[in-house]
Formats: sequence, C-alpha cells, structure tokens
Amino acid sequence: MSDIIREEAVKTECESPYVIEMIGITKEFPGIIANDNITLQLRRGEIHALLGENGAGKSTLMSVLFGLYQPEKGEIRKNGEVVTIKDPNDANALGIGMVHQHFKLVDVFTVLDNIILGVEPNTAGFLRKKQARERVIELSKTYGLNVDPDALVENITVGMQQRTEILKMLYRDNEILIFDEPTAVLTPQEIDELMAVMRGLAKEGKSILFITHKLNEIMAVADRCSVLRKGKYIGTVNIADTTKEELSNMMVGRDVKFVVDKGEPTPGEVVLEIDKMSVRGSHGKKNAVNDVSLKVREGEIVCIAGIDGNGQTEFVHALTGLVRVDSGSIKLLGEDVTAKSIRYRNTHGMSHIPEDRHKHGLVLDYTLEENMVLQRYFEPKFQKGGFIRFDAVREYAEGLIENFDVRSGQGPVTLSRSMSGGNQQKAIVAREMDREHKLLIAVQPTRGLDVGAIEYIHDQIVSSRDKGTAVLLVSLELDEVMSLSDRILVMYEGEIVGELDPKTTTVQELGLYMSGAKRWGREVQKNEG
Amino acid sequence: MKDKLRSILTVCKNKIKTGSRSLIASAGFKSVISSLLCIAAGILVGFVILLILAITSDKIPVSDAFEGIWIILEGPFASGSAQNIAFVLGDMFFEAAPLLLTGLSVAIAFKTGLFNIGAPGQYLMGAMGSVIVALAIPTTPATAFWVWLLALIVGMLCGMLWGLIPGLFKAFLNVNEVIVCIMSNWIAANVVSWVFSENKQFINTQGGKTAYTLPTTANGVSTPKLGLDKLFPGSNIDIGIFLAIFIAIGIYILMNKTTLGYELKACGHNKNAAKYAGMNEKRNIMLSMAIAGGLAALGASFYYLNGGAELAWNTYGKLPDNGFNGIPVALLASNNPIGVIFSSMFLRFIDKGGYNLAGFTAYNEYVSDLIIAVIIYFAGFSMLIKGMLAKIKIKAKEVPVTETSTETVGSDPVTGAEEVADTPIVEEITKEEEDV
Repeated sequence: MSDIIREEAVKTECESPYVIEMIGITKEFPGIIANDNITLQLRRGEIHALLGENGAGKSTLMSVLFGLYQPEKGEIRKNGEVVTIKDPNDANALGIGMVHQHFKLVDVFTVLDNIILGVEPNTAGFLRKKQARERVIELSKTYGLNVDPDALVENITVGMQQRTEILKMLYRDNEILIFDEPTAVLTPQEIDELMAVMRGLAKEGKSILFITHKLNEIMAVADRCSVLRKGKYIGTVNIADTTKEELSNMMVGRDVKFVVDKGEPTPGEVVLEIDKMSVRGSHGKKNAVNDVSLKVREGEIVCIAGIDGNGQTEFVHALTGLVRVDSGSIKLLGEDVTAKSIRYRNTHGMSHIPEDRHKHGLVLDYTLEENMVLQRYFEPKFQKGGFIRFDAVREYAEGLIENFDVRSGQGPVTLSRSMSGGNQQKAIVAREMDREHKLLIAVQPTRGLDVGAIEYIHDQIVSSRDKGTAVLLVSLELDEVMSLSDRILVMYEGEIVGELDPKTTTVQELGLYMSGAKRWGREVQKNEG
Repeated sequence: MKDKLRSILTVCKNKIKTGSRSLIASAGFKSVISSLLCIAAGILVGFVILLILAITSDKIPVSDAFEGIWIILEGPFASGSAQNIAFVLGDMFFEAAPLLLTGLSVAIAFKTGLFNIGAPGQYLMGAMGSVIVALAIPTTPATAFWVWLLALIVGMLCGMLWGLIPGLFKAFLNVNEVIVCIMSNWIAANVVSWVFSENKQFINTQGGKTAYTLPTTANGVSTPKLGLDKLFPGSNIDIGIFLAIFIAIGIYILMNKTTLGYELKACGHNKNAAKYAGMNEKRNIMLSMAIAGGLAALGASFYYLNGGAELAWNTYGKLPDNGFNGIPVALLASNNPIGVIFSSMFLRFIDKGGYNLAGFTAYNEYVSDLIIAVIIYFAGFSMLIKGMLAKIKIKAKEVPVTETSTETVGSDPVTGAEEVADTPIVEEITKEEEDV
C-alpha cells in the first residue's frame, strides 16, 4: 500500500496538484501506534474533510503537520517538495494556519487588534493601524466575513469571533487553513454561514482541512474526505460518490444506524412535575428561567430544545439543586423537593448527566473507580465505619466498565483526566444509569462524541425509558432532538414557547420556535398536563 | 562518617539506575526525586555562597567552605563528642515535632485545594491555649497528666477555631483564604500579646526578665518523656515526636482511606463536581481549615508543654518560624502526610548542621542561617521541579494526546504543574504560536 502511494508521489513530484501531502506518516508512542502509515493529500482549492472517531489519530496527525511531533516514518511535502517542519514556526512560515475549536482571542481587544496581534505593522515601534485596518476590511469583503473591526471581542457573537479567527489566518497570508471542529459552538444559522465562507475561501484558491465528526457537514461542504480509524488510514473518498452511511461505516468499521431504534412510548405516572418555576439570571436583570411548568411521565423522553443560552443551563441547575429556585415548585414522584438538598434529590430518584463533564461530571484528578462512586461512596455497600471499602469500589467499577464498555489505559485506576472525552462521558452515563433512579436528566449527553458513542448513548437512554424511567433530555443538536424524543418542548429566552410532536413536526418548524419567530400560547402548556 | 555516607549514596545511585520502569513512572517516585533534586540544588547554591564568602573574606580560609558544607550535611553528627551528638540529636527530634505538625497542617490544606498560610497564627493561638491551661489549673502529681491532656486539647481547639475563620470567609463569602489567613496571623500575634500582658501571673519574672511565660513545669505539667531523656541525655526530647508521627499516619489514613478524606479531596480538586455529587462543599472547606488549624496548634502545644521551652509572649512584632516553615516542609513532601515526617526531620537535621557550622568554622551564625534559608527556599521548588520532570518525560517519550474535547480544564494552584502533561495539544500549538 505504502509503495503504491510512494510511486504516486514520485509521479506527481514535477507538477504536484497537491499543496500539502503527508505521506506514509507513522508516529508511535510507547504501547500505541497513534498514526500508522497515514497518507493525507490536500489539493489546492479543495475542502478536505478529516474524519475519525475520538482517538483515531487526527490530533496526532495535525500535531505532526504543525511540527509538534516528529514522525518515525514518512514525509511532508509542500507543492511536491519535501519540507521538514520542526516546530509551529516552520508551519506558519509554510502558510499553514489553524482555527481552534476554542478561540484564542484576547477578549478585551478589538477585532482588529486581535487580527494583527503578533504581526503588528509599525514604523520604528509606532503602530500603523490604518493600513492594517484597510487590509482587514478588504479581506472581509473579499471572503464575505462580516465583522466590525472596532468591536471588542467580548461583545461580539461566537460566530463573529470565529470569523475573526479566520481573518487572522487570512491576514497572515496562510493558504492552508485547518478548521478543528469549527461547528461545535455555532447555532444552525451560523453553521450555514460558515459553510458558505468555507466554500468562498476554497473558490479563492485556499485549501481547507476540515476536522469533524459531523457527517452532515462533510456531505454539505467537503470535496473529499479522508478517514482514519484507530490510527490507521482507511481511505479517501470523493464526497460526490459517497453516502453518509458509507462514511460512518469507514469511520467506525461497522454499520451505524442514524435512526434511533425505539418503540412507542408508554407513559405512566407523572415522575417530575414543575410548576411555574422561575430562576433569576446571573446579572439580576431578567429571569433566566421564567414561569416554566412541565410534567415528565415514566416511560417517555421529553426534550427541551433551544439555542444555547436560552435558560436551559439555569433550568437544569435549578432542577437538580445546583442553584436556588426563586419561585414555583418542583415535585419528584409527588414529593415537593424544591427546597431539598442535592444529595436528597440524588438519593430519591434523580440522576443527572451534566452538561459540562469536566466542571460537574467528574473529579478529573480522581481515578475512574473513585469517580464511579461519586454520589454513592457513603452507602453501606461502599463504606464501613467511615472507611471506604476499596475492594467493593473496585468490583463495582469493574462491573460498570465492562457493562458500559468504558475504555481506558489502566481500567479502574486510570486517572480520569487522561481518558478521552468520549470515554469520560461514557463513564458518567454508566454511573448515572446504574444508580437507582426514576428520573434521568440528560443534558447534551452526546456533545463532542463520535457517531459510535452517540449511537450507544442513545440506545442506553431509550432502554432506560423502556424500563420505566422518565427522561428529560436537554439538547442543542436538532438531529438528536428529532430522533430521540417523544415530546419536544422548545425553550426560548427562559420560557417554554411551544410543544411539538417529533413525528409530525419538521426541523424547519422547530427552528422557527427556537429562534423565537413563532410561539404558541400558554394554553398549550396547560393542555399538556 | 564521610565514607559511610558515600557508600550509601552509591547504593542509592545504583538502585536508581537499576530501578524498574514502573518505579520511575510512578508519581511517588517522581515526588521523591524532585524533592531530592531540590535539596541538592539548595546545598549546591549554599556551597557556592560559602565559597564566595570564603574567597572574598580574609578572615575565612577557603578550606572552611568545604568543611562547612560537609558539617551542614552531617547535621547533628558533626557535634563532636558522643555525648554532644546525643544531646543535639534529642533536641533535633524534639524540635522536629512542631515542624512536622505545621507541615502537616499546610499539606492537608493543599490537598483540599486551600493554601493555609495562617499556620503561624494558629500555632500562636495553640501555644496560648495550652500554656494558659497548663499554668492556670493547680495540679497534684496525680492530676498533672490530665491537665497536660486538657492543655493539649484546648490548644488544639484554639487552633481549630483560628483556622475556621478563614474557612468561614472562604465558604460563605468566597474571600480568598490567603488574605484572611495573613490578617488572622497578625490578629493572633496581638491577641496573644494582649492576653499575657493582662495576665501577668503567667509571666516568668525570675532574674528580672519579663519576655517569656513561665515554663509549664512550674505547675508540674509536662509532656511525658518515658525515659527518652535517658537515651538522649541533656536534651528536651519527649514523646511529642512519636505522637506527631502517629498523628501524621492518622492523617494519611484519614485522607486516603475514609469517606471524609474522599470528600475533602474531591472538594479540593473540583468544588463544582463535589457540589454536583451532593457533598456539602461549604462544610468541607470549613472542616479542612479547622483540621489544618488544629494540627498547627498541636505543634505549638507539643513544643510549649515540653516544659523546657518558654513562650516569648510579646509576639505582636514577629510570627513564629515554625508556622511559616510548615510550607517548605509540606512542599518538600509533595503534601504527602508520610513524606512530611521525613521532610520535617530533614529540615531540623540541616538546621543542626547550620548550628554546628557557626560553632566549628569561621562563619558566623548569620551565614549559617543564610545557608539554611537557601536550602529551605529551594525546598519550595519541589512542585516546580516535579512539573519540569513531567514535561521532560513528555518531550522524551511524547505521550500520546487523547482527543478530548478541548474544554478548559480546571487548574489547581498547587497541582497546576502536573497538568502540563494533560493539556490538550491544541493549547500547546497556540502557546508556541503566540510566542512568535
């Protein structure tokens, strides 16, 4: 295989259509081959997607391209000529730029200041911002990157911040642009805009490497796609000749179903009843959650849909006891728990997969087994006379790890921090599913995960529902909302603005509710009980 | 002596060389190595200072620099006659006990995410509580032990109360514990001066001096010696050091084996996750600080209930060294309670060496204090070196980077260095970019 590629490379050397080639890259770490003979060829002016599960070797490959790692085997070519990239400075000099998933901007600087940061035009040490400004405006016109150069970064939207990052690369004349999961933080509309910008950049001759898990986006914008799986190069396909199913099969190594397999819900008794709950916002001006009433019954999945920042976080925090409710009441299995402690809720039927797995879900400096008993360490099963029964903890953790297929370097004693995001999430799901519960609150349970893990977690949630659990799902992903839920409640600016049936509604209609363009009257909510 | 040490050193070297890979990879080993490196660096810099002083001063022969550093390294064993060595060794153990406990105090606070810089104040409050109880309650030989025990407990409670204050501020008002600790130190210093100036009956006025309180032996109260004074004749040694070691082991068990330790550490590592899990994070912060305060105070109680030590009560201008020295003791031990036993002993060992330096060479006691300070100062770098070791290992081995979603990872002020290993690669790329 590698020989064929080498031949190809030799053939194309004289006049290479590829702007960057990584040929036969092998990078080994003790005990693991992170990249095993990987070839990635980026054509000039194309959008090339790099697809792979968590831990497939995408980051390592990009680190090799940036000169952070030196590969054991293989070479990197630019325009057909072999180059050595020893550190990120070399990469910059070769015109390689990257937009990170989490932006690297100075919040209190203006957009313009951020763009010129590090390459400030000056005369004898005095800033010459005027010409920089003109250039930035020109660039933003050329590529349709609408930003206000004088706005402070902290005051602009996430989408504009991303455009600032893109302008940063363009200002530096980078011609190879790497986008690392750029859509994770964007609203559906912003994603569409970004796609348009990417197409525009490619048309102007820039070459784009697009790292993602999201197959829909690849299908929408990419020209070709290279797939990695477990450190190995699986292949490169033309998007025009492939399907989503084929891509996911290449990525995961088996068929993945996109439709969640679930039967009709059989709602029973009311498990959670929220009545006119309001939560004050962090700035005190406006209620973050305003007068929300809803019911969740056993055996159904109710989804709170909405664009990020419309009160979902505060709603869940109030529901789980992390913040205080200002008015209204929460009833769990008929009992008023509005003023009860988090522990009381935890031990009386509430399970919570938190939105932020690093902030709330795990103590990252604890081992996996220690995290598995985070809410249960005080139970007689796990302690005796105040001493933790480590053997019982170990046994329990091993059981969960096996049942929920949580993968880690050293099993129960792995430091949680060193685990991949997907497996951290699986560990939390395992812990929350296994605890005795009647209500499961799952907030963005599949954020940042690959299709295999998403499928798995969805299956778990559905089987939990079928066992009679009431599930309250909070999600920003429209696909997830549509496929997983039995009822959809849309939250907009802290209020429930509508209830939809996923079987009869469309994504477009849902989008209208989410953006506040449409709302049903309050009587809808009353009817629902 | 020199040959003995040398042979021990070569044995150690060989052990390190032939040490198994898993040993080198373990975190504990890294901690020990970084502590030893710190000590070595401190000694080296100390030696350079001695050398410079010897070269620049015509009063000190250059040979004294070599002899001097060796005297420091020999610690109490450079004290001359066997009798002298026994005496200095006994005092070393006696003086190690308070240092061990303040070190433990700082270490347990660090482990739970708090920086207890209030140990000096807690130490003073403990000293005051113990001394007053030990002197105020009239004793008979039969009741002396019980008064001693009561004095110990009251001292500890005073310290717990003093530690609780910054804990309360932190838990309920989110005021940084460092600020409150520093202020509470000086409040304690003034409270102690005020209490004794109002209660002159506790002050030793023998020979016209008034700077010290009466020794507790004036009331027949002192820590049992159980014949240790026969073993180390002339020294102040008592069972305090054994009790301190016992407490250190107890704290180790508390932190690593109990549900309380599990909770305290969880709060220290990630307050939000602890809250999410239903732990009472406010209570745990207060408890951590109270335990830390109680430990620091116990150090003072052991020291002043010995009977041989008198409390300089006029403390408003100066905070006790034993309180602050708890910080390097804890850092040198990487906050491990068992490690604290050894690091406190080491500091006292070096201390005695410094004392001998002034006695046996042309250097004066200020120079020896300076050298000891340098070594202690370097001990504080233990965490830094540990972080550097982790980094070097990454460069050498290039540990694979997991493709975690690059959510920001909470950083802990104390263990921050260790996180270098786990920072997502993307972060590193930018750091280097921004350096351009």
